[in-house]
Amino acid sequence: MAITRIGNIASTIPDDSIQNAKFSNIVNFKNIIINGDMNIAQRGTSFTGQTSANYIVDRFTQTINGAMGTWTNGQSTEVPTGQGFANSLIMDCTTADASPAASDILWVQQRIEGQNLQYLKKGTANAESTTASFWVRSNKTGTYIAELEDRDNSRYVSQSYTISSADTWEKKTVTFPADTSGAFGNDNGDSLRLNFWLGAGTDWSSGTLGTTWHTTAANRAVGQVNLADSTANDWYVTGVQLEAGTSASDFEFLPYDVNLARCQRYFQTFRGGVDIDIANGGMGATTSFVGLVSYLVEMRATPTFTANSGTDYFRVYTTAGSNPVTIAANNLTGTRTMTLNATTPSSLTAGQAGTIRCLSASATVDFSSEL
Amino acid sequence: MINTIEKKYNLENTFNNYKVTYDNGTIKFVPLDEANTDYQAIQEWSAIEGNNIIDNGA
Repeated sequence: MAITRIGNIASTIPDDSIQNAKFSNIVNFKNIIINGDMNIAQRGTSFTGQTSANYIVDRFTQTINGAMGTWTNGQSTEVPTGQGFANSLIMDCTTADASPAASDILWVQQRIEGQNLQYLKKGTANAESTTASFWVRSNKTGTYIAELEDRDNSRYVSQSYTISSADTWEKKTVTFPADTSGAFGNDNGDSLRLNFWLGAGTDWSSGTLGTTWHTTAANRAVGQVNLADSTANDWYVTGVQLEAGTSASDFEFLPYDVNLARCQRYFQTFRGGVDIDIANGGMGATTSFVGLVSYLVEMRATPTFTANSGTDYFRVYTTAGSNPVTIAANNLTGTRTMTLNATTPSSLTAGQAGTIRCLSASATVDFSSEL
Repeated sequence: MINTIEKKYNLENTFNNYKVTYDNGTIKFVPLDEANTDYQAIQEWSAIEGNNIIDNGA
């Protein structure tokens, strides 16, 4: 359709101009994946000695079943040139495992809430295909597996991609067929996982690769190379996008604040801050402070609360003075606020208002409602 | 790996969360929310024979 009049200005805009110039850069949250450009790393940028599960950058986790080497992983500035990315995720093998056991698994994955997936209409006759696109680089060439894992119905679909040139960024696109069986729960649960397989024992790789939705464990990662077979191995990924349809569109860049807020639904933290106030409240007793913490955004579920401890990591300040405190949860209910309890080794005045302040760059206060 | 789990009570003396201590010394406070994955892990841990949750009362 051509627009011939805009307000009082008569003009003609050709159809292709509208499509190409007007709409190509519109953000519409088409990307099911959060933090696909790996920009948000609230927990830190490098994690050494990883042998089980850890969050690498926000929303992306390494998962190991059994033993599949030891890894340094984190956020990297190694990126494909000229694509607009500032960061990537790196997996770097530091202890090899050339002979994984049958049940061993090495993944990088993202877990997705079912209520964000309803428009895929999975489990109906109108189910949508999905397409994953990403930039990847590794010294280890060969076949790799990208997989969708339906956690609600224990169904899987895999597609292979090939890293052709060592140490070279390559863009990959894989399309997963629609699934007319098994609907996703319309809730905040872990319904779908995008798995990047990096190593697989024979329990997962001894069949025929399941490129249509299936329930057979042995068909999940057939042909997957073992990235854990040498300490020379590394693997980078960025620009991860999963969208409805059978073709990949350009990566959807979000503003930093939007990206951060989306990640904070699952994890938020007070880290690295000196003289940062984290809770306001009062002295319920001479050695006990109770304070309210409001989350930065509403969390997916009631979060787990973690606060580390160390010399003068946290202090309570009142008009009567300040004391070092040790922090614990008091009332951990709901997705918007919690109250913490801080215990002082020496007395302040009961009933006085005050605040809990973080005094050390090493202090951490974390709230996690990851899937 | 989980080392110990203790029931924790809020100011109203109501059981409100679990204090979980891990082998590496990390301490987490886990809410009573079935959608929380740490809560799910506690349920799996406590289902194993020999694992007991400490309850020192309010």
